[in-house]
Amino acid sequence: MTHRDASFRLEGITRRYGELTALEDIDFSVEQSGYVSLLGPSGSGKTCLLRIICGFEKPDAGRVWFQGRDITDLPAHERGIGFVFQNFALFPHLTVFENVAFGLRNGAVSVAEAEITRRTAEAIEMVGLAGLEDRSPEQVSGGQKQRVALARTLVMQPSLVLLDEPLGALDANLRERMQTELRAIRERLGVTFLHVTGSETEALAMGDIVAVLDAGKIIQTGTPDQIYDTPASSDVALFLNRFNMFDGTLSDGMFAGPFGTAAAPVARHNPRDVYAIRYDRTQIFDKGAALPGPALTARFLASEYLGSSIIFLFETADRKTVEVDHHLSFGEPRDLEVGGEYVLSWDPAQAIVFGKGAAA
Amino acid sequence: MSAQNATKQKTATFRLLAPGVFWMILFLVAPIMMIVYVSFWTQTTFAINSTLTLDSWRNFFASEAYVGALWTTIRLWLIVLTLTFVIGYPAALFVGLLVKSKTLSTVLLVICVIPFWTSFLIRVLAWRPMLGKEGAINIILQKAGLIDSPIEVLLFSELSVVIGMTQIYVVFMVGPIAFMLGRIDRNIIEAARDLGAGFGRIFWKIILPLSLPGVVVGAIFVSVMVLGEFATSGALSGRKVNLLGNVIVTQVGSLKWAMASVVGVILTVLLGIVVAGFLRIVDLKREL
Repeated sequence: MTHRDASFRLEGITRRYGELTALEDIDFSVEQSGYVSLLGPSGSGKTCLLRIICGFEKPDAGRVWFQGRDITDLPAHERGIGFVFQNFALFPHLTVFENVAFGLRNGAVSVAEAEITRRTAEAIEMVGLAGLEDRSPEQVSGGQKQRVALARTLVMQPSLVLLDEPLGALDANLRERMQTELRAIRERLGVTFLHVTGSETEALAMGDIVAVLDAGKIIQTGTPDQIYDTPASSDVALFLNRFNMFDGTLSDGMFAGPFGTAAAPVARHNPRDVYAIRYDRTQIFDKGAALPGPALTARFLASEYLGSSIIFLFETADRKTVEVDHHLSFGEPRDLEVGGEYVLSWDPAQAIVFGKGAAA
Repeated sequence: MSAQNATKQKTATFRLLAPGVFWMILFLVAPIMMIVYVSFWTQTTFAINSTLTLDSWRNFFASEAYVGALWTTIRLWLIVLTLTFVIGYPAALFVGLLVKSKTLSTVLLVICVIPFWTSFLIRVLAWRPMLGKEGAINIILQKAGLIDSPIEVLLFSELSVVIGMTQIYVVFMVGPIAFMLGRIDRNIIEAARDLGAGFGRIFWKIILPLSLPGVVVGAIFVSVMVLGEFATSGALSGRKVNLLGNVIVTQVGSLKWAMASVVGVILTVLLGIVVAGFLRIVDLKREL
């Protein structure tokens, strides 16, 4: 299929509910079709943003542009934007086939019966549900419901598909399979998927572009590795859930924290002084061993075996939990004694430092 | 061991069932059997004896008045059922679906029930000063200059019975429908909207089918109550409208037990058919 124009742009989108500001001056644009993930904790306004793009809600201020048109005042069904609901929202009284055919049968444009049958069958085939056409939604599994919901949206040939936490209702196993499949389907259709999620692993694994939303604002947009390697603020780093973060003070290129003082020649502007080091860059040493950088004394609490890596949990003197991610391809981990004191250290060049004094 | 458990469970089941079964046999099955039995008894002017005969059944179907009462009952039931649905569904749609706040919809439902705070007879009789020749409606219409002489057909006619019954029973239609509508996931309606369906399509294809169990339950409530009615027709028709219920009241009043039983059996069978018919429309078991 040819790539369709799926460019869309949000300009200063603001939405308030009484006193509460759900979205504040959101600017965001996507030029080329791709997989866009929108990462945000619950309550960050991500569902609200989707509902505005889709047309279920109107912004208090700002415009929504899609395929070069201002669609802010268009009703949902005239936008050519598909929406996949978090809880699937299948029509419980219709069969799988009729669920998928619903938009063709009941839309503003009347479609010939033969075409309805053909397009519905195609959509069902594409999401891998062939053979289940006559089942009712309650007779199919969670993963299959997800596919029905997707097929029901895709059959309308939208250029932009909004997915509201599409994998949230699935179990872990299925979630990974659907991740791969969603990406494959998107590539085959050449449309844009805008996937909203609260899971940082999901957002980074799936998105060609990731936008991080917090408290009604987009705080960073970029490719997954940009976000991962250069988080724009300590809030972004916190959402990524892959950094040990320490409060302290930054002055004259030196960061003073619970680990003593470390050189921090480069710092990014941030409301607070924060020192972040990735879990998998933090290393464990015995007391008295030679260290590559700062020394943080911590008590070993427990470890979690994750198959490809082991997470070691430590507690520092000021009762802060610190994680060390040891990838098993770097060799067997050392045996640690629960309750024993160890020294954590890292290469200071790999730390990311945020400072209020740093240039914006 | 498992055989022993099974026996134990069986005993427990019987013990739990016994009181209910006993109660139903004593106060439902036995009286119905008795009514069927009595309908075949021999009735003389002042006495009744248990010699079996088909006389009362023959008399019922031979009498124009009795068969007429049967048709009147069916006709009024259909009219009232239609009106309660036509008036009740939009009200339920508003309360159950269009009102976004759950609190407000509960308040509205409670308001619907307020008339029930007075007794049934008062509610029926209250229609007399409303509909009468010098009643509220006629006075208002006359004062407004819309009519010259009072509309007499308003009271002591079939119309007044229909008005009274519709007002009294419409709530039983609103309740179950509003309940079913309230259970519809709003996302489903938005999904349909996103797929391009207009309000009409969404109503016919999504909302109505999903609320059908509520309609059926409401229709069963209304039907059971209207078919057995005698008070509203007695109080508002000026004895012009005779329903099967009124026939039973008259027959019992003049100690004609056999004929009363015949009408009772016919009414019970009619109710059975109506309820069974409604239950065929939807599979209520799936909804509960």
